[in-house]
Amino acid sequence: MTTPMANQANSGSRQLSASFRDPSGFLFTRNGILYRQINRAYAEDYARLMDSGLYEKLVKANLLIPHVEVDQAPAEKEAAFKVVQPERAPFISYPYEWSFSQLKDAALATLSIHKRALKLGMSLKDASAYNIQFVRGKAMLIDTLSFEIYKEGEPWIAYKQFCQHFLAPLALMSYRDIRLNQLLRIYIDGVPLDLASALLPFRTKLNFGLLTHIHVHADSQKRYSNKVVEPRKGVMSQQAMIGLIESLEAAIRKLSWTPAGTEWGAYYEATNYSDAAFEHKKQLVREWTAEKKPNLVWDLGGNTGIFSREAASSGAFTVSFDIDPAAVEQNFQVVKKNKEQNLLPLVLDLTNPSPAIGWDLTERDSFGQRGPADMALALAVIHHLAISNNVPLSQLAQFFAARAKWLIIEFVPKSDSQVKRLLASRKDIFPSYTKDGFEEAFKRYFKILKVEAVRDSERHLYLMETLHNG
Amino acid sequence: MHFSPLPYLDPGSGSLLIQIAIAAILGIGVALRASWGSIKKLFGAKPKAEDDDTDGESS
Repeated sequence: MTTPMANQANSGSRQLSASFRDPSGFLFTRNGILYRQINRAYAEDYARLMDSGLYEKLVKANLLIPHVEVDQAPAEKEAAFKVVQPERAPFISYPYEWSFSQLKDAALATLSIHKRALKLGMSLKDASAYNIQFVRGKAMLIDTLSFEIYKEGEPWIAYKQFCQHFLAPLALMSYRDIRLNQLLRIYIDGVPLDLASALLPFRTKLNFGLLTHIHVHADSQKRYSNKVVEPRKGVMSQQAMIGLIESLEAAIRKLSWTPAGTEWGAYYEATNYSDAAFEHKKQLVREWTAEKKPNLVWDLGGNTGIFSREAASSGAFTVSFDIDPAAVEQNFQVVKKNKEQNLLPLVLDLTNPSPAIGWDLTERDSFGQRGPADMALALAVIHHLAISNNVPLSQLAQFFAARAKWLIIEFVPKSDSQVKRLLASRKDIFPSYTKDGFEEAFKRYFKILKVEAVRDSERHLYLMETLHNG
Repeated sequence: MHFSPLPYLDPGSGSLLIQIAIAAILGIGVALRASWGSIKKLFGAKPKAEDDDTDGESS
């Protein structure tokens, strides 16, 4: 399930490769519109989903992406049963880009969907974190073909997958280190349970949920590897299934994460800004986004999302990227608290952004492939890239030009206290890092539309438009 | 081991066996809760509202 990397199929439509494994159907785009072909093999399950009331119930609870059946020719005629048009997620994100609570919400949504399905005679056959996306601020299942008719007695076929995609990374983030969510970037089918078991501290064996679903589970996998085991049919009652799901739910709910040594609320208040400078910057971002009316804004280095919210106030769907999992966590808490629908906080290291991963590198798109956006914000970030990370200004200009049509960028001079701090511990090898040098480098890729000196500071804010983008 | 007609996802033998074992134990709890509920109902207690409509959110 997901977007751009596509294989050319017949009838002018492009089949999306992220859904190639599923015999039930696949996604394709035609004339820029996203469709899902449902195959005949899935007809019975689809009918049950729609007729049992499960679809309606899940859509109403914001747990499943809505779709409409459309009169479109299928992309692969032989297997086709129906074509539907799902609502499109405004931005596809991946679990290694989510904060702790985003992954936790996605896990709880998955279990909640499975539980509701069971009550209506269906089961969630796929518990992949990649099937969950954040739409209108909520973790939502985007794969309509993930349900199958439940046969009492059968175990949950997605149990292992759920533990690898959700429970193991959440436990590692909570008990060991928040950065271990990056293991999901290496292991596309979730963190192997033997690895999770080895990395988790001993005290997690005293936690019933983690003891059973990770440690004992991993041992059992090892014991029965390379053995074909045929359990008796009808061996797992529905009550046992509900017991299992509730146990997973309790284990997930118990996991928490708060950044160590910080005052939660005041985590990001410490800046070298005066209130006047801060307010002026907010006002300029608000005015410039209102003027250009972008649909999609990427705030690169968005911190806790203060300026992302100014951009989002123009109506633009705004993705607020930051390298700091604590800032992203706090940002997501605000999204939830205020029920914000057009803001998506994500963890991203701009100096090493998400690569394309998976089979033939086409299953999950890289950060760049998911663009370009209409507008990018780069506020208080250029000194980190140019000085801490040694990227020449010309390369920075090229990088930003590939990301969006418009750019709002802040130039932070060497005389600024934050830059002085960065240069304090190293040799200044950046003679061209000046306001003039910055403008000269960026003029090769951009037309500078506006420049404003940020009040009560030494910084400047620019609005630029890329030269090559029509 | 083929439970559904198209198990394109390999559940893994060890995962299946441990799942069945854990679920068997946990299922007893669910069954006890259900019968305790009906005993209470016999004595006029209102059944607890189903938690079904809470959505997938962490608090």
